[in-house]
Amino acid sequence: MTKLLIILTSVATLLSAALFATAQESQTPAPMAVDTAKGLPEWDKIYAVFSHPRCADCHVADDRPRWSGAHYGGTRVHAFNIQRGADGSGFGNPGLRCTTCHFASNSSALHGPPGAENWHLAPTEMVWFGKSSAEICAQIKDRNRNGDRSLEDVALHVRDDKLVAWGWAPGADREPAPGSAEATYQAIENWMAAGAPCPLTQ
Amino acid sequence: MAVDHFARAMDDNEGYPMRLTVDGQSFDIDADPEMPLLWALRDLIGKTGPKFGCGIAACGACTVHVDGQPVRSCSLPVGHATGAITTIEGIGTPGKLHPVQQAWLEEQVAQCGYCQAGQIMSAVALLDEVADPTDADIDNAMGGNLCRCGTYPKIRAAIKKAAVLKTARL
Ligand code: FES
Ligand code: FES
Repeated sequence: MTKLLIILTSVATLLSAALFATAQESQTPAPMAVDTAKGLPEWDKIYAVFSHPRCADCHVADDRPRWSGAHYGGTRVHAFNIQRGADGSGFGNPGLRCTTCHFASNSSALHGPPGAENWHLAPTEMVWFGKSSAEICAQIKDRNRNGDRSLEDVALHVRDDKLVAWGWAPGADREPAPGSAEATYQAIENWMAAGAPCPLTQ
Repeated sequence: MAVDHFARAMDDNEGYPMRLTVDGQSFDIDADPEMPLLWALRDLIGKTGPKFGCGIAACGACTVHVDGQPVRSCSLPVGHATGAITTIEGIGTPGKLHPVQQAWLEEQVAQCGYCQAGQIMSAVALLDEVADPTDADIDNAMGGNLCRCGTYPKIRAAIKKAAVLKTARL
């Protein structure tokens, strides 16, 4: 009799646990469906911005910003031995910070230095220069390589950051990044709504 | 000469009144805020130590400090120069040279001299942050200061000497 009671109690416990689990599962939102047909064209718009020289020239794997794009007619490392900075900050070295020459606005002199607030290199883990669409896409979704941001944070950063905004208003005869901050923000929102798909090819 | 320029700017009434702190002194000027700081220093205030070389932040001859950080004054709009400005004329006196100036003399760095005000200001900024710089530290700090006379080896030697002189004074 005692054995029967123990068995019945165990069965009841298992049943209630299973029912609880089922109830919990029904409350967990289903994983977002990925709509590649809608999402990938949005990603392509985002990639066109991120890979553009106005953005990618300062998202480099090594310590040297690049001068590249139509305006430069080729790819060169930034002159004057400019580097990320021995402290890894991206703001340059003692005696020669980025802000020694790059001020809060573009110089109006012919071939003068461009400017925006907080001019500096992106951290080394955020490498865009020379990376494929698939590589940048995977990176932007990885909190370890996107400045510990949610995708919503990434969208807001692109829309609101003043240094990012410079990419669309680089001054002089520099080619601006395609679209606008607002259009890129919207593309990121649309891409997220489509499940943030990434291209498969490297 | 500086007073003439100042008076003319006031008469033309083209600019905005602003106050600059340069080498520890206050100067009231009237200038377009977009005017390069170098123009204000040389033409309105009379500080001709900083030199014009390229006008596009590509040679370093115009280097001054704003709140201790080196800037190319040919490219910084005067309206954005909101801190204490230090020029080559404000880092030492004939009776008490800055250690970098002393080292420059001892090493006889200058040839034509045109770039040297900027070289010295960059060297001062480096030594303010790195007391005993390596060759790499010097290359990294001085890459934006060009010298057409090629005094680079002497500049390096003088910065190393200045580091010793500065530490000895502390
Ligand atoms: S005159 Fe300013 S850097 Fe050349
Ligand atoms: S000493 Fe002549 S340009 Fe430097």
